[in-house]
Amino acid sequence: MNATTTRIGLMLVCALPGLLHAQFDFTIDGRQVQVHSFVTQGFAYSDDNNYLTMKTSQGSFAMTDAAVNVSVPITDKFRVGAQVYVNNLGNLGAWHPSLDWAVADYKFKDWFGIRGGKVKTVLGLYNDTQDLEFLHTFALLPQSMYPSDMRSSTIAHTGGDIYGEIPIKHLGSLSYTAYAGQRKDSEYGGYPYLLTQFGISMEDYGGLVVGQDLRWKTPLNGFLVGASHMDENITATGKLNPSITLGGPNIIVPYGEWSNKDQTNQVYGQYTVGNLRLDSEYRRYWRDQQIFSGQYEITTDVRSWYVAAAYRVSKRLEFGTYYSRFVDNWISTVPGQVESPNQSAPDHHLYDKVVTARFDLTKFWNVKVEGHFMDGWAGTMYPDGFYPQDNPQGIQPKTNMLLIRTGFNF
Amino acid sequence: MRYLQHFLIAAALCSLSAVSVRAADIKLIANSSVGASSVSADELKGVFLATKTSLSDGSRVEPVLLKSGATHEAFVKQYLGKTDAALETYYRSLVFTGKGSMPKSVATDAEMAAYVAKTKGAIGYVSSGANTEGVKLIDVK
Repeated sequence: MNATTTRIGLMLVCALPGLLHAQFDFTIDGRQVQVHSFVTQGFAYSDDNNYLTMKTSQGSFAMTDAAVNVSVPITDKFRVGAQVYVNNLGNLGAWHPSLDWAVADYKFKDWFGIRGGKVKTVLGLYNDTQDLEFLHTFALLPQSMYPSDMRSSTIAHTGGDIYGEIPIKHLGSLSYTAYAGQRKDSEYGGYPYLLTQFGISMEDYGGLVVGQDLRWKTPLNGFLVGASHMDENITATGKLNPSITLGGPNIIVPYGEWSNKDQTNQVYGQYTVGNLRLDSEYRRYWRDQQIFSGQYEITTDVRSWYVAAAYRVSKRLEFGTYYSRFVDNWISTVPGQVESPNQSAPDHHLYDKVVTARFDLTKFWNVKVEGHFMDGWAGTMYPDGFYPQDNPQGIQPKTNMLLIRTGFNF
Repeated sequence: MRYLQHFLIAAALCSLSAVSVRAADIKLIANSSVGASSVSADELKGVFLATKTSLSDGSRVEPVLLKSGATHEAFVKQYLGKTDAALETYYRSLVFTGKGSMPKSVATDAEMAAYVAKTKGAIGYVSSGANTEGVKLIDVK
């Protein structure tokens, strides 16, 4: 079955209930079982450079994702559910279905609950909902913060969370989440794809992740601020052909990577008043890793932020805009890999100005038309949407891209 | 950044949609199993945003919403501080991350009253002129 047939089939299966305004609820033994799904399809066209591993310079429809979930409350405090997700994004995803989340959730009190299984990770405003296109104004969230090619690196962990909301009298309320578990990246994600340029075939990538999030719903109605922190201990195994990068023999040898230090700190704020919503986030990601089976070390200091605004003009129309900045400072002991010293160099940063119009054709069907005006491509030592394999002619310093995306959900 | 400033100014100058129903035209109703005769605004918001499953008197509650209409929009704006679209987005974010379910919703005041009357712990809202026989009226303090 080719990709086009797969896309059409997915859309019919996942979109039809939405088109029919159907609710897929049913009852088993007196308990209501809810079934929900979504499917999205995008088209991207850029003037120069291919982006997110799609052939955007020629126009690409290789941007599809879908999910279906089932959930049921067992008691008024205990619920279970699971979601399966599938996507194709250029050379990533590969239509490989995966268990997106599978959770058992027990809420002892409003201020204390636990959930375990494969759990969506809370990090910043939108990490756990980054792939739920229909929830957002934008066709692509700021890629400096929520890169689509690196989705699996932060989207979920297998382990457990404690969570709750604590009212603080006249000062609003505090919501907290603390978690620990294992992260396992998809072999079809951006980092394994990036490494293929060095002759590396990654077979397993992941490890321990521990994190916390605290957000304050302030007494000012609609104003929220928060902070997230995450520490990881990542190991990776795979295969390497040393002749491709290191000038060695044309053989296959075992390959490994591991963390020296892997830490993310993020702060954010959101203000919603009437039909206007303002968001801003700042993230610093420090990644110190031994690569090539410990032979070399690479330290990456990624600093990114964005500011966004969205305004709903009517029930059917919303406008949005954001400015996103991504700066990647790195130090590598790999011979020949030296970063441009000047942050203004295009291989040292990626800035993106975006404008969007979202049309809600029905409650379950939306279409977005979005323009991206990108400055820079942030180098090739860290995944940032521009891959040398997809741009063999070299990467131009600026990229303008039109993105049209439609989605159904119910 | 200049274009962002222009966008914000334009958005601020646009008039917000007027809500034709005032909060005083909305009655909060609950099943007779709910012990409290009044709730705080914060409690009510917590119940309908799925962060609270019980009231301060210990009563377990289940929120019920109207699907649409002026009463629904006024309730969501006045008591939850959201638009209908934002509320829908909020609930879907819970559903698709495994953190909650879509609440029960009904089409009319009559269906609301009937469901709340027969369902233990149910709490909902109707227009001031709706028939509330069989349900308990709740004050918002």
